[in-house]
Amino acid sequence: MNRVAVEKSVLSENNQIAANLRETFGTTGTLALNFIGSPGAGKTALLEKTLELLRPHTRAGVLTGDIQTDNDARRLMRYGYPVRQITTAGACHLDARMVQVHLEDWLSEGLELLLIENVGNLVCPTSYDLGEDAKVVVLSVAEGEDKPLKYPGIFRKAELMILTKIDLLPHVPFKVELARENARRIHPEIEIIETSYTTGAGFDEWMNWLRARARKKAPVGVGTGAASV
Amino acid sequence: MHEMGIASSVLEAAHQVLHRYPGQRLSKIGLRIGEFAGVDSESLKFCFEAIVKSENLAPLALEIEFCDVAQKWRGDELEIAYLELEDPVPTEGPVESVEERI
Repeated sequence: MNRVAVEKSVLSENNQIAANLRETFGTTGTLALNFIGSPGAGKTALLEKTLELLRPHTRAGVLTGDIQTDNDARRLMRYGYPVRQITTAGACHLDARMVQVHLEDWLSEGLELLLIENVGNLVCPTSYDLGEDAKVVVLSVAEGEDKPLKYPGIFRKAELMILTKIDLLPHVPFKVELARENARRIHPEIEIIETSYTTGAGFDEWMNWLRARARKKAPVGVGTGAASV
Repeated sequence: MHEMGIASSVLEAAHQVLHRYPGQRLSKIGLRIGEFAGVDSESLKFCFEAIVKSENLAPLALEIEFCDVAQKWRGDELEIAYLELEDPVPTEGPVESVEERI
């Protein structure tokens, strides 16, 4: 018997594709965000409102992942931006190769903003780097405040937590402060924005966050790049 | 489903390394998992064994070691730490002599 030390990442192939995507996004000045949340957390509604609020002529695209159906893509297409559905046929997460394949010609067209809606799941998508600039975790007030403690992986990796459906707060026993506290126990630097698709609350703050990130991503010496978002 | 995908990736990554050792057979994979990797070790072992059985890779074992954040990484990694390799078992049957062929 011969023992060989390896120290090789199990997801090294995915990570290599993700690194290539990240390099490409850097060159094209594309801000790529990976939205992760439970089924029903409000990811699609968040993206709908985001597309509605983008400045005209923003070059944005959406990849949306689901195990089956193209329902989300059809919802998102109504806003006039290119949308592609990634149907994973059973896989509980998107991986970098799926993103690479579905981007096809978008990058050569100079996409400023790429919104990736992952499959509804707080566990599996966490392990797969998609080459994104940031992971955004979406949590609704219809869930438990202890989600960050139950699923620490995604809350550790996400730069931003968007708390959705806050218009439901009078009707549900969700304690916002406790949810914030739990999220920061896991990730002290995580940013938190509270939103409601129904009332529009919090979307100014969210769009400001998005635009600030886009400005940072604009390629040096190439106009405003993603700053027009 | 997640663990099945991870189990497939573990085997794929191990076989990529195995190519560097021609003629050797894989007998054990040592896997390190970060505490925030979101992987259930029992479920991963179950999936791994199912693949080993369906692809006739037995006897091939999986040894899992959990790593805490302070120990090594950000805690969300999955890494093949080591492989145990064995020389292939010689196949039984008549030994062909070179002279006979000539």
